[in-house]
Amino acid sequence: MKLFILIASVVLLSNTAAKSQITRAELTATGLTCSMCSKATYKQLTSIPEVKEVVPDLNTTAFMIYFKEGSAINVSELKKKVEDAGFSVGELVVVFNFNNQQAVNNSSFKKNNITYTFMDTKPGVLSGEVKVKILDKGFVVDKEYKKLAKLTKQYPSYATVSNNSYHIKTL
Amino acid sequence: MKKLFSAVFVFFTLGAFSQELFVFTEPASNMPAKSFGFRNMNAFMFEKDDKLNYHNMPEIMWGINKKWMVHAQGFISNRQEGGFEAEGGSLYAKYRFFSEDAIKNHFRMAVYGRYSLNRADIHQQELETMGHNTGYEAGLIATQLLHKVAISSSLSYERALDNNPGYKFPTTESNSAMNYTLSVGKLMLPKVYTNFKQTNVNLMLELLGQRLNENGKSYLDLAPSIQFIINSQARVDIGYRQQLYSTMKRTAPNGFILKFEYTFFNVFK
Repeated sequence: MKLFILIASVVLLSNTAAKSQITRAELTATGLTCSMCSKATYKQLTSIPEVKEVVPDLNTTAFMIYFKEGSAINVSELKKKVEDAGFSVGELVVVFNFNNQQAVNNSSFKKNNITYTFMDTKPGVLSGEVKVKILDKGFVVDKEYKKLAKLTKQYPSYATVSNNSYHIKTL
Repeated sequence: MKKLFSAVFVFFTLGAFSQELFVFTEPASNMPAKSFGFRNMNAFMFEKDDKLNYHNMPEIMWGINKKWMVHAQGFISNRQEGGFEAEGGSLYAKYRFFSEDAIKNHFRMAVYGRYSLNRADIHQQELETMGHNTGYEAGLIATQLLHKVAISSSLSYERALDNNPGYKFPTTESNSAMNYTLSVGKLMLPKVYTNFKQTNVNLMLELLGQRLNENGKSYLDLAPSIQFIINSQARVDIGYRQQLYSTMKRTAPNGFILKFEYTFFNVFK
């Protein structure tokens, strides 16, 4: 019986882990208009091993990015590739699949060794597919970053920029 | 500073033209990191006695990372007695040191340097390390993209050396010059994007000037061009360069440019 519970909980846990992954992302690149620039960005994004498909919108310079099932993407990889193409990330919205996740400002959760801290978010419990916006430096336009940087008293961890810790806002 | 720059540019280019992959100059932006490009420039320049000077300049380009790119170029022409001949080559590097991006808008600044070798005869007062003189050039470029319009300007110092082994640079002539350029470009087509395969059409207008440091002689050229970007990957440029004025001796200032370019994305890991 104990063994059964153990197996059951392992299965359940792994299910939860699989569900909590980032399934897709919507990235808006800045600093470009022409289709050659979009293509350079598109080519960079498709070279990421975790990426299954990229659907570009050339008029808005936005890219819908779908990830491979079971993959663990670090959003810093998306930023690096856009910058390698010669441009910047203006907005990055990722879709999380949550399972009763408490959302309280300044509280964090960890997925695949990456810490996500809620910021500027309405408190609540999150379940299913939820769009969250990455608020850290390099993932928002400069103007917005300057605004957010004024909130560091309220969100002390926002001052630290790291490749395994991000601040998110539910949309 | 940026606003002042933009204001000055807009002032000079009221109602003018393009995007920033200019035909006669380089923008402050770089090609994508880890990509490789091939370019072939053909210049058909008219000499005064109805002779046609043909220059062929094949070029390879490599985006090392987001800040650095390098070019290597060869110079072939029909100017010499023996006919079509390889005359020299050059290495070019560009470093983008400033970049500010916003939605459909950017401002960039870069510095660049070129070192060229050439063994052709020295036949004019104009200094040109691209295909005529052995020497070097170092400069600064600033480029502003405003939605469908791009404006770019550059200032450079150019120094000519002896065209070894056969031709010493004449001691009576100015062996250094300042170059200045102003380029504007506009994306004309497509009006609305549907996919990467649509051909993009850009119109460009460039002003290219030089002033010789030692005797103050100068020229200014106007160079309009049309550019087709095919499959978001290949470029065909057709340009014409027309001298507006010159107080220095130039062999063949006016003529057509035909340029092909192809970019291979993500070639290097």
